[in-house]
Amino acid sequence: MDSSNDEAVDIIITNVVATFRTRCHLNLRTIALEGINVIYKPEVGKVLMKLRKPRITASIWSSGKIICTGATSEDEAKLGARRLARCLQKLGFKVRFSAFKVVNVLAVCSMPFSIHLVDFTKNNRPIASYEPELHPAATYRIKNIKATVQVFSTGSLTITGPNVQNVATAVEQVYPLLFECRKPLCK
Amino acid sequence: MLTNTGPVAKLYLSIIDDVIDSMKELFLDEGIEDRVLDDLRHLWESKVLQSKAIDDHRRNNINSSNFVLQLPAGYQQTEPDLAAPAVIPAAQNFNSFPVKKNSGPLATFSLPASLAYPVQIPAGVTLQTASGQLYKVNVPVVVSQAQAGQQPASHPPPRVTEWRDAPALQPAVVPPHPVPPRVPEPSALPASSITHPRPSLPLCQESSLPHIDLTLGDNEPTPPPEPVNVSTTASPCTQLLDLQIRAEEALAQTTKGRDIYDILKEVIEKETEKVERSRDVAAGNSSSRSEAALQDYNALSDIIQLDGPADNSDHEEDEEVPLQENDFLGLINAEVIKALQEENESSDSNSVASSSSSSGGIDELADVEEGDPLNSGDDVVEQDIPDLFDTDNVIVCQYDKIHRSKNRWKFHLKDGVICYGGRDYVFSKAVGEAEW
Repeated sequence: MDSSNDEAVDIIITNVVATFRTRCHLNLRTIALEGINVIYKPEVGKVLMKLRKPRITASIWSSGKIICTGATSEDEAKLGARRLARCLQKLGFKVRFSAFKVVNVLAVCSMPFSIHLVDFTKNNRPIASYEPELHPAATYRIKNIKATVQVFSTGSLTITGPNVQNVATAVEQVYPLLFECRKPLCK
Repeated sequence: MLTNTGPVAKLYLSIIDDVIDSMKELFLDEGIEDRVLDDLRHLWESKVLQSKAIDDHRRNNINSSNFVLQLPAGYQQTEPDLAAPAVIPAAQNFNSFPVKKNSGPLATFSLPASLAYPVQIPAGVTLQTASGQLYKVNVPVVVSQAQAGQQPASHPPPRVTEWRDAPALQPAVVPPHPVPPRVPEPSALPASSITHPRPSLPLCQESSLPHIDLTLGDNEPTPPPEPVNVSTTASPCTQLLDLQIRAEEALAQTTKGRDIYDILKEVIEKETEKVERSRDVAAGNSSSRSEAALQDYNALSDIIQLDGPADNSDHEEDEEVPLQENDFLGLINAEVIKALQEENESSDSNSVASSSSSSGGIDELADVEEGDPLNSGDDVVEQDIPDLFDTDNVIVCQYDKIHRSKNRWKFHLKDGVICYGGRDYVFSKAVGEAEW
């Protein structure tokens, strides 16, 4: 994925969020009573169903919209979503698996160097923002790929983007900028 | 009713009492006979006992050597005349037990619960088990725990015990000789059988204990005018039960105010003995009597109980509801299908989705094989471990707080009943942790 870098930096995907629709109304009470591994939250109006195999948690709304979180890859998210739809189908709902979309991917990455955040922010004025009183990391938003990179002074990065490819691209984009502002003393 | 029962049994019985008592007036107002209420109570109690959810307590209590020895007037522990040194020289672990002096002529003291068999008991002592049955020992005996299949090891000199109340489970009274191979079985076999005036007793007993009969004759003049005389033996389970049942029948007329519990026991044991016979034939019946009875309770419950878990009436209702719902949804989906068909093809970025959607036809069964990528069963793998463990261990309770962090769960529960391993436990507060 990060082929353009000389040093291979490991991007670890920690969370993939996906949504899909069942195209049918779901009776939350039925799911809560008959489903296995479910948590009913009537105050919010949703049911959480947790799966073990791809370890995912799904929020199920009565409209039939389902948000699936906790997967570690896009494929896993798709598989988990289908398994979930299968579960609902078994409970008796006429489920149609449609509109599957990966909405968010969260990845972490670690630079082999520390970063001088103030310099980094100065260099990338409009795109990067840094408020140490609010949050210890500098936020770098890449507009065209709609990715957000949070840069910590230790060199750790968290990247969020709409899909895995964008995340990888974001890392590649930001790497040279970080490299300029590294703290040479400690690695 | 049941004198020494565990806390759970007490609670259940008190519940039964409460309900029955509060229903009494209502029933009377309705014009229903009292008998009906009594029947209900008996039925209820028998079911509770059968379910063995609480039985173990009682059995354990009975089996534990919780005896209260009532010594005849004038008997003192230090008296050397009676085989006092032999009195309770019993077993290795025996310790002297506390003496409670009762009012009146009788001195009573209780054996410690941890008493190890065998115990030698001198003549003239009246034993009372935890459940209230009384035995009068006329001849020095040794109380022991014996295996179910144990035969009298040797033809013993006459040992006689007799009891007054209806017998239930009793410790095996074995002639002092025997049995070094004392298996520490929790059950104690009722070794006694009733002989004397009952003609019904006869054959079975006599055939197995011919030697005893002789001695009986000797002893007959000695015992006080009790309705029943008893000979002791360590006999196989079936014989015991057989005799016991006859004993109970014999006693039916003699004992006054028998407990309902005893009636139940009688009924149950009559049936268990038949099962016991077949079991004993099969193998040297090494299981303890209580275990055998337990199994029989199980068999009984299978036979008798048609409600409760075996009830089918509720399932039908549940099945109807989702069907209706699904039908309704099916109708909607049928109409929406066409519109969504085109939508699916265009919106799905997934190549898999588009390919399958083009191949799918328009069916009434919207979900199964539709333009939708979700194929029925084959494609989408079901949960690999749908039911990791189907347990019957259940907790029914109220909760104070249930908390989850990631996959760690913490439970603060209150006022509940736990059914674990078939037995019931009641709690007012429970704290638990689990990992999912």
